[in-house]
Amino acid sequence: MGLGFIVGVFGVLILSHAAYSTIQYRGLLKIMEEEFSGPPMNVVLELLLGFVFCIWAALTVPGNFHSIHPDSEENRIVSLSANLDFMIFNHRAKAFPLEIEMKLKH
Amino acid sequence: MVSKTEETQLNRLENQVDNGGGGVWEYLCLVRKLNVRRSEKVLKHGLSILNDHKKRSALGHEEWTLYEQVAIAAMDCQCLDVAKDCIKVLQKKFPESKRVGRLEGMLLEAKGSWAEAEKVYSSLLEDNPLDQVVHKRKVAMAKAQGNISGAIEWLNKYLEIFMADHDAWRELAEIYVSLQMYKQAAFCYEELILSQSTVPLYHLAYADVLYTIGGLENLQTAKKYYASTIDLTGGKNTRALLGICLCTSAIAQLSKGRNKEDKESPELHTLAATALEKDYKQKAADKLGLLTSALKSLKI
Repeated sequence: MGLGFIVGVFGVLILSHAAYSTIQYRGLLKIMEEEFSGPPMNVVLELLLGFVFCIWAALTVPGNFHSIHPDSEENRIVSLSANLDFMIFNHRAKAFPLEIEMKLKH
Repeated sequence: MVSKTEETQLNRLENQVDNGGGGVWEYLCLVRKLNVRRSEKVLKHGLSILNDHKKRSALGHEEWTLYEQVAIAAMDCQCLDVAKDCIKVLQKKFPESKRVGRLEGMLLEAKGSWAEAEKVYSSLLEDNPLDQVVHKRKVAMAKAQGNISGAIEWLNKYLEIFMADHDAWRELAEIYVSLQMYKQAAFCYEELILSQSTVPLYHLAYADVLYTIGGLENLQTAKKYYASTIDLTGGKNTRALLGICLCTSAIAQLSKGRNKEDKESPELHTLAATALEKDYKQKAADKLGLLTSALKSLKI
């Protein structure tokens, strides 16, 4: 989790640096009175790199994804709960008392 | 509802605590969460925590929940003194509590003094006539005394007020099945499937009841519900696979004289049979011969 987190922070920093460079580039173009056609090549590369880092961090930091299929091996319902609200104590186990004497000691 | 991962976790924790490893509190919490009935183990391990002063104080305010859990487990194992002591401790801490009052009523039930338990529950109901758990205990008491028709009456009255309580619908369905009143049981299972359609075991129980009632339409519906159980469990439920084979055979028997247009394709049956054989080969290879001979004797 530590590595993913650091990579994520790094990716966000790269993206913000790319944004700052684009703003500076536009300012420069305004001074030189030229059209803004698109950010320069290195900013585009920086954007892609930041994007890859952020996506990788977003997938690794939260950990294992849970399955959503109801019939997957981990989610499938195997048995119902024992309906303890209607539990009765008048059953055959009365004839088999516990071997060890249990007591609450206080 | 116990899922496969929860079941494996429960079994692992059970082995661990039985063999002396730690994790007792985790096991007790899991038992409470899954609502399973493991009274002997809960009693044994719960008492080991409660009798040890250090472990008890380490629980903080959760020790009262543990007292309640151990009291109920003690009543189930007929250790009524332990139950009485636990309830006394709870009464000292929470005097005038409805929850402790319920436990007192349950203790009287476990002792067999039905009239006194009835009095306790009636007084609790006077204070709060909409207490769900006390109503359910009255039903359970009627069932324990053998008064099944009284239990059905009470349960029907309860369900008129609290229609969304699926535990109660399930209990009513099981009581009807025990009395062989299958049509009413089918109605109860239909209610359950309506409210919780992703639980495959209700589909399975409904299909079983329909198969028992019999008749061509019921068999066809039963086959559909067995198929939906297989869908919801990913094919791992052996009972549903066998149900499909039996339904196909019973339908074929009933529609022998009918015209050939209504004949269903035998694909589902062959698929189910193959899945069953694979399953048996993996889990119980020595019983595979029994299975293949039984499947062969089912006439399609």
